[in-house]
Amino acid sequence: MTVKALYDYTFPSADRAENFGDDQLVFVHWAGNPFFCSAAAFRAPKAIPFAEFIQTMVEPWAASDPDFDSAAVRNWRLFDQPLDTGDGGKTLLDLGVTHKALLSFDA
Amino acid sequence: MTTVQPRAKKLPLKERYSLLTRDLDWEPSYVSRERLYPYTSYEGIKIHDWDGWTDPFRLTVDAYYKYQAEKDKRLYAVLDSFAQSQGHLSLSDASYLNAIKIFIQGVTPLEYAAHRHFAFLARYLEGPAPRFAALCQSVDELRHAQTQIHTISNYNKYYGGFHSWSKMHDRVWYLSVPKSLFDDAMTAGPFEFLISISFSFEYLLTNLLFVPFMSGASFNGDLPTMTFGFSAQSDESRHMTLGLEAIKFLLEQDEDNVPIIQDWIDKWFWRAYRMSALVAGMMDYMLPKPVMSWREAFELYFEDQMLGGLFPDLDFYGIKPPRHVDLAIGEKDHLGHQVYKILHNFSFAAAFTTSTPTDEHMAWLSEQYPSTFDRHYRPTWEKHRRIEAAGGRAFFQGLPQLCQVCQVPMAFTEPSDPTRISFRHSEYRGETFHTCSDGCKWIFDREPEKYVQAWLPVHQIYQGNCGGPTVPDVLNWYGIKEGDNGEYRGSADNTSWLEWHK
Amino acid sequence: MTKTLRQVGIDLQESEDNRALIEAIEGDNPDLTIRHLPGLIKLQAPGQIVINRQSVEAKLGREWETGEFQLAIVSYAGNFSEWDDDQIIVNWEH
Repeated sequence: MTVKALYDYTFPSADRAENFGDDQLVFVHWAGNPFFCSAAAFRAPKAIPFAEFIQTMVEPWAASDPDFDSAAVRNWRLFDQPLDTGDGGKTLLDLGVTHKALLSFDA
Repeated sequence: MTTVQPRAKKLPLKERYSLLTRDLDWEPSYVSRERLYPYTSYEGIKIHDWDGWTDPFRLTVDAYYKYQAEKDKRLYAVLDSFAQSQGHLSLSDASYLNAIKIFIQGVTPLEYAAHRHFAFLARYLEGPAPRFAALCQSVDELRHAQTQIHTISNYNKYYGGFHSWSKMHDRVWYLSVPKSLFDDAMTAGPFEFLISISFSFEYLLTNLLFVPFMSGASFNGDLPTMTFGFSAQSDESRHMTLGLEAIKFLLEQDEDNVPIIQDWIDKWFWRAYRMSALVAGMMDYMLPKPVMSWREAFELYFEDQMLGGLFPDLDFYGIKPPRHVDLAIGEKDHLGHQVYKILHNFSFAAAFTTSTPTDEHMAWLSEQYPSTFDRHYRPTWEKHRRIEAAGGRAFFQGLPQLCQVCQVPMAFTEPSDPTRISFRHSEYRGETFHTCSDGCKWIFDREPEKYVQAWLPVHQIYQGNCGGPTVPDVLNWYGIKEGDNGEYRGSADNTSWLEWHK
Repeated sequence: MTKTLRQVGIDLQESEDNRALIEAIEGDNPDLTIRHLPGLIKLQAPGQIVINRQSVEAKLGREWETGEFQLAIVSYAGNFSEWDDDQIIVNWEH
């Protein structure tokens, strides 16, 4: 179904990838932890190595929970699929983590 | 018992009403009807006879202003007396006012938006009776905005968070929830607006949206807000009537209207219900003297009165209860808790404060939510208590994922499993869009062209459109000042309160 | 078509003026139930509630216009199927 309108109703999306340049939005969810009301939203470079993304962005957020133990982080998923992050050296883009992707982990 | 004198001959109400409304209308001759009323056919709604619209209140301008002036006189007398007697000191606690901060920031601007759009309808609806009803509602809504501002201005003298409600409505993350709802309605056609606001908001959900604030006021010593509520409610009964008349008129005009109306009911029930989540959090957690639980209010005002009362009436026209209503019913034991968790996690960035519930309040929550509170929510609140007992206060050190449609942080859980966040997403023009529920996803997929334009606060912050990259930059851009935000205990409001009650 | 006997409701503000109004409504609607909440009085009856100007005037001791009912009402569940100089009727249509 399309919007009913008096004229051609076509407008650009407010959060399209080009608005973020070399960066993108990524959502990260700590599965099963009710301490956080929801997943977190990050703006990260597409070319950031995964381990660096986790250390510099995700862990400071996850540490809002005083029981967070970075060594316990495991079982990364990209949407519903298991994500093999290897040694953390691959970039988000290499791993197929594109604009507005949802990542989840257990800890 | 007094004997009643025979009264002087007067024109009967029906006739006066007709002479002063319908009979003032005329068929245009200098321009075509289509040019005079350009908005009433593009939605696909068919109207054959605009005279089929009845206004049971049969209000004329003179009666309107007479009664409204009387209501204002009564209200302002109470506001004056409360201010003069330093009535704010007899509130249950300063923390109560956090609910009223949300009200002036979130609801008052919607009254103003409604005023504007009903003025638009007062010009562009084709029948004189609905135009006049819309004109009265437009003036009513302006009255509500003004009286709310006056009512709540007294608190602005003594407490934080009230000072920049209008600017905050346009900028602050949690306020985009109500703002986007009205923007969605105002950018729809006139008939969709009537179903979204007059019907879904002002009839179907009005008691759920409104009565909790007013009862909360009554229970917590907030005489001015309570009095405002009663003063506005008598206007609301006319608004409810307009909503009900609108839907029946449209359904009776042409059978082809039925599926269009059903779709709008489905969309707008869910849209307004998701917005009412803020009320759920308020009712369950933000009233020092609680009135009733969200669960109880939802059962009474929606399940009993609407599903049990109204929808059987609409069944005659082939209208069914709203799509996804079962999801709303399934959430009633969870909604308040999940929403307050959002507010508690993020009040460092809000123009109100929050705190972890006390033992006493948790006992009330256990009692009100026997199947969910102790199992799913108490453990986290107790963890917060332990952190605070050690001198800390935990907030969400980051930004949340928002739903593209309702714009609430995605804190809602799967209907089948309250330990799992409910994630949905859609693709449109190669881009991913997240939604919080089947309800919001259905709405997105139906009109993606609209929702991809949404001004999502978190994404706008990340695009650099909200004052700067740091939290202080953003709070400054929001207009949030020292003392407005964070934890209630130890806040400026709390400190003042204790000082004034030594 | 048989009239359904679902409950019809009207919520009124609790005030001095409205005492007489409520007495009048009670007198004209034998199956009426009345519940008191803080500041609010909830009236309910199966099928319909009728308000007669003459009954209200008799209790109030002065002239009363049906339009004044607007000052009293808080909320309602039902339809205003009739509102003229002498009578107001709230019921469900179907």
